[in-house]
Amino acid sequence: MTSYSKEVIADLIEGNLPWHDTRRIMSAYKDDDRFDKAIAALQDRVEWDAPIILPVSSHLFIADTAKGRHTLCECGHDFGHWTKNWKLSAAVLIRDSDELLAEIYPTADLPDPRWMELREFICPTCGHLHEVEACAPGYPVVHDFQPDLEGFYEDWLGRALPPEPGVAA
Amino acid sequence: MNRPLTRDEQPGHTNEPPIVIGIDAGGTMTDTILVNRDGHFTIGKAATTPHDESEGFVASSEDAADAWGITLADLFGGLDVVLYSGTGMLNTLLSRTGRRLGLITTRGLEDMVLMGRGLQAWADYSYADRLHAVTHAHPDPLVPRRRTHGVTERIDQFGDVVIPLYEDDVRRAARALIADKVDSICIMTIFSHVNPVHEQRIAALCEEEIAAAGAQIRVYMSHAIRPVVREQSRLNSVLIEAYATARGREQLQAIEAASQKYGFRYGVQTLLSFGGLASIHHPRLHETMISGPIGGILGAAYIGKLIGNDSLVCSDMGGTSFDMGVITRGQTRIENEPLMDRFKLNVPTLHLDTIGAGAGMIIKVDPLTRKVSLGPESAGSDPGPICFDRGGTEPTIADCDAILGRLNPHYFLGGKVVLDVEKAKRIFKEKCADPLGVDVYEAAEGMIEMLETDANNALLRVISGQGIHPSQYTLLSYGGSGPLHLAGCSRGIGFRDILTFQFAAGFSAFGCTTADYMRRHSVSTQIDITSAATAIELEDHARQVARIMDDLEAAAVAEMEAEGHAREKIRTHPFLMMRFTGQLEDVEVASPVGHPKGADDMRAIIAEFERVYASINQRVTRYGAAGSSIMEIGVTAVADKIKPVLLQRPLNPPDPSSAHKGKRNAYMYGRWHDADLYEMDMLQPGHRIQGPAIVEHPATTLVIFPGDEVFVDEWTLLHYRHG
Repeated sequence: MTSYSKEVIADLIEGNLPWHDTRRIMSAYKDDDRFDKAIAALQDRVEWDAPIILPVSSHLFIADTAKGRHTLCECGHDFGHWTKNWKLSAAVLIRDSDELLAEIYPTADLPDPRWMELREFICPTCGHLHEVEACAPGYPVVHDFQPDLEGFYEDWLGRALPPEPGVAA
Repeated sequence: MNRPLTRDEQPGHTNEPPIVIGIDAGGTMTDTILVNRDGHFTIGKAATTPHDESEGFVASSEDAADAWGITLADLFGGLDVVLYSGTGMLNTLLSRTGRRLGLITTRGLEDMVLMGRGLQAWADYSYADRLHAVTHAHPDPLVPRRRTHGVTERIDQFGDVVIPLYEDDVRRAARALIADKVDSICIMTIFSHVNPVHEQRIAALCEEEIAAAGAQIRVYMSHAIRPVVREQSRLNSVLIEAYATARGREQLQAIEAASQKYGFRYGVQTLLSFGGLASIHHPRLHETMISGPIGGILGAAYIGKLIGNDSLVCSDMGGTSFDMGVITRGQTRIENEPLMDRFKLNVPTLHLDTIGAGAGMIIKVDPLTRKVSLGPESAGSDPGPICFDRGGTEPTIADCDAILGRLNPHYFLGGKVVLDVEKAKRIFKEKCADPLGVDVYEAAEGMIEMLETDANNALLRVISGQGIHPSQYTLLSYGGSGPLHLAGCSRGIGFRDILTFQFAAGFSAFGCTTADYMRRHSVSTQIDITSAATAIELEDHARQVARIMDDLEAAAVAEMEAEGHAREKIRTHPFLMMRFTGQLEDVEVASPVGHPKGADDMRAIIAEFERVYASINQRVTRYGAAGSSIMEIGVTAVADKIKPVLLQRPLNPPDPSSAHKGKRNAYMYGRWHDADLYEMDMLQPGHRIQGPAIVEHPATTLVIFPGDEVFVDEWTLLHYRHG
């Protein structure tokens, strides 16, 4: 079955593959070992050793740390237990005025800040912008999604989810 | 025997030397056909040499000359016509190695190059990828945004100047482009096809600036390339002409130099996408870029006349694609906006439908769902299928054909390639049959059935799109893999007749040699004629139509005369693209009265339109009450060329044993058969072959299934009859 080298997968993740090759991979059936190779490439990239269980965005990972299964930033900043909304532990910049919105859209028409605000969720350690919400003022912080880790490991990868460190089975 | 029969061995040969050579340089192989005054022909083949096409041209000509039994010097010294259609311009476009362009356009349209009507982001994609929006991406533009300059001006759809041209804008843009060291400046303003004054003025100003700067820059105007409505495709046409044709022209000149070196006395001709010949000095060379598959349709129309059936479906199966063309009661559809490397062009082209289906298609089995899919990738000729043993590792349809004994492992390309059937079987079993849990032969036949079902469905779709029953159509099957999969592609459709050819692999090159010298000039119009038009109104329309036809005819004839055709040999045919007012598609109507002179002539044109409309759209009622609209007026100018004629010979007794060359085990309908083997070139008119049988030719293989029959007619055409 189709399989690519770890280097190719790493280039794919970094966006370094030529478009022609990227599209060929996208249009083909997914390679059997893509997940494991992608995890290996990401594990090489991050500066910590806690095993990655699932990437949740381009620089945010669920990983098994000594404290348990936590959401980690690429820099190692710990956002807390994976079942909890990581955004609640992030630094937040709320753009809710014409001046703050104009920093993002200097030449375009602006949304009305009485109806919509932008919330930027930033890593308190490295300053990476992880996520942006566009919401009505007063709307609760959105919990983007909580992955079904057991289902993913058992039904899609065909193996058991590793037990969470420090939690009795 | 590793090549077609030499001329002396072939039945019915004459001593006349060849006078026409047709060369079709495809992506992989360059095919050559030689034709003499009696219409006798022979075929040669060599690998295409993209870096310098003249090498492949000479090698392929030499192969054909050898088969005829003459030297290259004898061949070229006696030729009247060298007809070449190649891939140089297309490769320039695909590899983005063309000229450095600048663009001046109407202010506000600068982003058109990037937006490409949206559809260029997914044009040419498979259906799955069209839906899979993450794969959408625009092709790299031929001119970057920063060398695109908008100038203030506006002409409306009636040709009236709404905003005058701001000449300072033009001078600024021209100076910027000169400073950017462009090779060419393209000019495309909106509605220039109605009134070109602004494009002409922009060109004049650019020329002034270029002269003042002492630069060498060519200027292209869109209305001069093709004065037809729809600015995106007009823009692409002018850009591609400026971008890609210069190097293509050099390749063609190298071909001309090579043929003149061997004693050819005239200029080389190339094939236009609407099916005519033009000199390689043709001013709109991009009109020759889609000519490859056109040859087949021309050849089919020619064969159709011969056999007295003018409703045909032509099908060309090679390694990668399955091209289908339809000729309905002698009418071939013209496609006005074909795609070229995902750019919409504005070039009239004989309409073809294409699906990805060919013997080189790679077979894949989804590891999760066990779903089997074919292609769209093809193994091409390098590395090729596994059985070629040149490094191919993915199973293809050709491997299945070899595994099932349908391809002769020792007679592929006349024995030039020995097929490694065992290796193909081993890898196919491991990658396809085992994951599916099926016997290797059953799996291989299933894969072939999938390909043939795809082609079969595509044929049905194309026919039903015409609104006519298949029982009125004859299927013509050609291309290297056409006869191999003919039975499956055509089974159950109920064609009136199914034909293939001893020269199936060279049929496109053969078709090219049946073309005449031709020019097609046309211009967009908007002439609406109500159903209640009075004689005076009709007379007005007639005057307007005739004036446009006069201008176009003068231009077309002047171009042909410039190529050395005598005026009295040039015939002109005015045509009109018409629709019932309010419709979205035109039909092409040949004017039955030449240039119209009065109200009666206009009535005759409208009557002819309604007749043509009814013949194409049989089940659709005509709608004369809506009135009719003339959307485009054109003139084709034609001069005859000598063509091959097929030899008609008396029928022999039906026993084909003189062509019999043995037996081989072949797998058909789920079991092994002891199939008879025949040599295709040895078949004689009158022969009948009963399946299971395999008819072999160095360049193609015809598989006849149990219960089916092939009959060779007096033209030595092969008729396939399903049992």
